[in-house]
Amino acid sequence: MKNTERNKKIILYVILAIGAFIMFFPFFWMIVTSLKTGFEANKVPPTIFPAKPTLDNYVYALKTAPFLKYFKNSLIVTIFCVTITMFNTILAAFAFSKMKFPGRDIIFAALVAMMMIPFEMLIITNYSTIVKFGLYDTIIALIIPFTSSIFYTYILRNFFMSVPDSLYHSAKIDGASDWQFLWEILVPIAKPSLVTIALLNAIACWNSFLWSILVINSTENRTLPFGLFAFTNETGIRYERLMAGATIVVLPMIILFLFARKSIVTGVSRGGLKG
Amino acid sequence: MRVKVQNLTKRFGEVTAVDNLTAEFESGKLIALLGPSGCGKTTMLNMLSGILPVTEGQIFFDDKDVTDLTPDKREVGLVFQNYALYPHMTVLENICFPLKIKKVPKAERIEKAKEFAKMVHIEEYLNRKPKELSGGQQQRVAIARALVKNPKLLLLDEPLSNLDAKLRVEMREEIRRIQRESGVTTFFVTHDQEEASAISDYIMLMKLGEMQQFDKTRNLYNQPANLFVADFIGSPTINQLHGIYTEGGIKVDGDNQIIKTNNKWQVEEGSRVVLASRAEAITFNDKDDIKTKVVEYYLSGKDTLVNLKIGSYNLRGYIDATKAIKIGDNLNIGFKKEGVFLFDELTGERYYE
Repeated sequence: MKNTERNKKIILYVILAIGAFIMFFPFFWMIVTSLKTGFEANKVPPTIFPAKPTLDNYVYALKTAPFLKYFKNSLIVTIFCVTITMFNTILAAFAFSKMKFPGRDIIFAALVAMMMIPFEMLIITNYSTIVKFGLYDTIIALIIPFTSSIFYTYILRNFFMSVPDSLYHSAKIDGASDWQFLWEILVPIAKPSLVTIALLNAIACWNSFLWSILVINSTENRTLPFGLFAFTNETGIRYERLMAGATIVVLPMIILFLFARKSIVTGVSRGGLKG
Repeated sequence: MRVKVQNLTKRFGEVTAVDNLTAEFESGKLIALLGPSGCGKTTMLNMLSGILPVTEGQIFFDDKDVTDLTPDKREVGLVFQNYALYPHMTVLENICFPLKIKKVPKAERIEKAKEFAKMVHIEEYLNRKPKELSGGQQQRVAIARALVKNPKLLLLDEPLSNLDAKLRVEMREEIRRIQRESGVTTFFVTHDQEEASAISDYIMLMKLGEMQQFDKTRNLYNQPANLFVADFIGSPTINQLHGIYTEGGIKVDGDNQIIKTNNKWQVEEGSRVVLASRAEAITFNDKDDIKTKVVEYYLSGKDTLVNLKIGSYNLRGYIDATKAIKIGDNLNIGFKKEGVFLFDELTGERYYE
């Protein structure tokens, strides 16, 4: 009895280890390759650890492409997108959960139905809107289309709905307005959900690629993923340099994930008020 | 503050939760809104607080019409059944919240909150979060939060229903004490007649949205307005003998005796009636001549509660514990004048003397 249980655990851990290895290996290989010299990167059979680690590739990457500029652009886009999206999401979720007005649920159902329209279908209309607004090739063009999200509104609305109405009534009796109730009570209670949504949103913004390729032309307005793409084209097949560029791009996200891992996981798995 | 409701009505679609209710409530009293579930008592409370808009009728606080005022403008405090404490705030922050909304300076509101925390005996838990408190403590916090802004009206929605039996008795005495100390007019919703009788000055008994009786607490027991009131109030439940009024007495179903009491009712011969009597109104004197049979008896201190059979009905009375009885005994009883009522069987209306 005990043995079979132990065997089960061993099998489980082996499977998890293999999975972790498969997930981790590309990152590992990217970092290792970025530290190799050009000769060593193309050697057959490949070496696992670089014989003589070098940062030359990073120096090259930062010299040929303005990664710091890209980084700054990405940061601006992400911060604005996330802040505005969170603000809009909180207000919309509140309206759709706690306020009562005619047609509320129908409007919400219509919005949810709109989630079925794929992003690719919106690209052309969004593109022509941006061009007509004269925003082509500006940072603003990267922000404006992504300042609201039905999906996040949906998640947050469900959380708000799990907060008992008696808290709302109680706040009203305590003299609070809807606005005060939202920011003083509902938002602090919803903090774990909000952190999760903000993080998911930040990752999505940071990695957004297709849209920036379409609306950005000049080098100075590129974001990191686009910059990396351009860098790839310019660098050709010097893998060690490509990997250095890629590392620069993904590093901030990895660091963010390491720090916020707990919030992401608890936020996703957390449902109601009870902790 | 005096409270008056006039033709107060609340309908939810087809259902009438509160039906055309008119009453006036004295200032500084503790009033129980009592009734079985679904009788409209919580609806009534929520209309007083302003959470629920009224369908028809008016509500007056003193002489001011507050019917269309929103909750934040009514100056009421409300304690919810589930307490509704803000889970992310400490006890102190919870109590301070109404003052914070009112923009009372921080030092002043903390001082005030502490004063009320002391009044409800939770001053040593000020820095805890609500979920670290027991049910009774949470309720005290909720009461303190409701009182801290000096409301003119305190509303309590079944505040004791989530507590265990021992704590319930303790907390109801606390509520009575706090109400006396603060002097605030208080409404208290409950479905427990014992709880309502124990602490309230007045009781409004409701059934299916209609007021059955609104009177001093004692009067609901001594002078019930109808059979529903008589049946709902009192423990043990009032004895009920159904029968026909004939020859100046009551012929109980399944029995041949004609029961005559000391009361003088004006009843039409042959009416279907219910003779209701409190257990303590049953006498066991030597000259008593109503024949019953002992079904069961329960010893309880100096008295024995006996369960008697008369016709198809059961009757409970208190007999001196020194009297030896056993199941199956024939026992003669009589009725006192007080605590004995006659109701119409169909309408439940009371025949007055």
